Amino acid sequence: MGDVGLGRGNVVLEQKFSVESIRAFLKSKTSYDVLPVSYRLIVLDTSLLVKKSLNVLLQNNIVSAPLWDAKTSRFAGLLTSSDFINVIQYYFSNPDKFELVDKLQLDGLKEIERAIGVEPIDTASIHPARPLYEACIKMMNSTSRRIPLIDQDEDTHREIVVSVLTQYRILKFVALNCRETHLLRRPIGELNIVTEKEVASCRMTTPVIDVIQLLSQGNVASIPIVDDEGHLINVYEAVDVLGLIKGGIYNDLSLSVGEALMRRSDDFEGVYTCTKNDKLSTIMDHIRKSRVHRFFVVDEDGKLTGVLTLSDILRYILLGETGS
Amino acid sequence: MNPSIIQLLLQHDEIVVKHGHSEYSPVVLITTNKKQGKERIRDKESKTNGRMDNNVTYSLSQMNLDPPTLGRRKSTLIFDDEEEMGYTNHQEHSKSMDSDSSSSTESLRTGMCPVEITWQQGGNKVYVTGSFTGWRKMIGLVPVPDQPGLLHAKLQLPIGTHRFRFIVDNELRFSDYLPTATDQMGNFVNYLEIGRGQKDTLSARSRIAMEIENEPDDIGNGFTRFKEEIPLKPQVEYTQDIPAVFTDPSVMEQYYLTLDQQQHNHQNMAWLTPPTLPPHLEDVPLNSYNGIQGDSNNENNSGALPIPNHVVLNHLATSSIKHNTLCVASIVRYKRKYVTQILYAPLQ
Repeated sequence: MGDVGLGRGNVVLEQKFSVESIRAFLKSKTSYDVLPVSYRLIVLDTSLLVKKSLNVLLQNNIVSAPLWDAKTSRFAGLLTSSDFINVIQYYFSNPDKFELVDKLQLDGLKEIERAIGVEPIDTASIHPARPLYEACIKMMNSTSRRIPLIDQDEDTHREIVVSVLTQYRILKFVALNCRETHLLRRPIGELNIVTEKEVASCRMTTPVIDVIQLLSQGNVASIPIVDDEGHLINVYEAVDVLGLIKGGIYNDLSLSVGEALMRRSDDFEGVYTCTKNDKLSTIMDHIRKSRVHRFFVVDEDGKLTGVLTLSDILRYILLGETGS
Repeated sequence: MNPSIIQLLLQHDEIVVKHGHSEYSPVVLITTNKKQGKERIRDKESKTNGRMDNNVTYSLSQMNLDPPTLGRRKSTLIFDDEEEMGYTNHQEHSKSMDSDSSSSTESLRTGMCPVEITWQQGGNKVYVTGSFTGWRKMIGLVPVPDQPGLLHAKLQLPIGTHRFRFIVDNELRFSDYLPTATDQMGNFVNYLEIGRGQKDTLSARSRIAMEIENEPDDIGNGFTRFKEEIPLKPQVEYTQDIPAVFTDPSVMEQYYLTLDQQQHNHQNMAWLTPPTLPPHLEDVPLNSYNGIQGDSNNENNSGALPIPNHVVLNHLATSSIKHNTLCVASIVRYKRKYVTQILYAPLQ
């Protein structure tokens, strides 16, 4: 009994130590430090048509891009899948406005936001020379789950978009380069980081427009799809809407979510599940190996009980384990 | 590059010499001189007088952003471990490094530069391993005399960018005192850029030429070395104003008519064919970016590219205009790293 208690105590202590050393590591490095020596960055001019920008994203296999306002020579926020979700919702409630939607420019997205009454795009950014930890905190608080790195040109004092960091990139970086992640051996069920209540879900037959509304209302990046017994069978992701309206076609909004999934590209990473007894070290292992953005928590029968998102993990690493 | 500079160039779209080619955009003689934030334009002669001026460069046409076509030659700019295997045992060279003159000739001959790598973050057994050993061999570090806690290894490394990590008491570490970056797999590594700027890679021929230069002119028996008269360089004038030939269509027409007359009917309308691209610009990192993302997707989520050759920096590249969307790209330095920025903008 005493031995078991001691072993458990060690696991708890090691977990705390691990989180603290990862945090120290993130504080010791800047965002600039973790950039590759050479990398690409795709920037979209705000006068580009929304439907053209969708093609650019799909063509480059990216889901988000920083915007550049050529008139003011300034960074103008990030284009993400939620912008396309806004446009879909706007068009769905204003079917007579096809002409407007078809000719919509990226700088017109603000009007769409206003029209449907959603939060405006957050234009939070951070200087690349600030500690990575600070960038992570800012990223965690942003709705886009990303943080643009913005600097100033030395000569012209104009803004430069240096890069964009994502939650996945940071967590993969931690999983790859912090040995201490192996010490994260407490079951995730103990850590109070799994969202269990109010996890919105849908059925295969649910109209895709309803699922899109769920994504928007809950400000979440995915909606799990379950069968009649509550078994997890698939997921609809916010990024799936890019494929849905590819080519500027908004006719398919009457599809069921199951039919809409047929448009998903073949390199879909799959749905990742875990149980409450899994350790964060195992979770981090999977983040290192695969492009996974969330883990659905299921019970022994495969029934959905909760979700563990990258935000949840990041929040725990940045702010968790601070009590005694 | 600051997108505003790209923008600046876009504003001067009208100076693009329109050629009849559909596939190849014309070679536009615009340079992006970052210091002045202005473009310089020179005429075609700048190419023939053979100067590789960093400020005077050719814009690169047809950067293909589509998935690479089959049979494309492998880029010479790819950051390849295999090409960096020129590592030699540091002990062998420790002697030559002491005498200055021999080491500089040595490095000139072999293209190797003496590099000292140090470690000051504790540990007993410290090794360094990196792209220069193919990440296989480990090179031991030895204590620096009279400097407790400081270990070092002297290496001979080829010019280029090298990634490495330290193995400290069997643990993989990186130094907090050297530049860091993530590689294409996402691993955090130290890196060093060697020789850029000071020691340009010399071809074998020019190296021999340089050695001959250094020998005395008097070669004995009353003979002196024959020296070719160096022809005077044509006077080239730099300007920040766009010459009228690019802005005024009538001047432009006159210019081309004159060109045609000077060609003695040999190559009529020769100006219709854009000049060939300098070979360095044929291989740009963007073209080697794997368009087939399926496999590399997860490994390369930071958009990591091969290290660009410095001669491709500050060029404006463009792809052919499709669907009324203009796509321009430029590789610039950001501190000690390289950003390849691609800007998509509608064609006004």
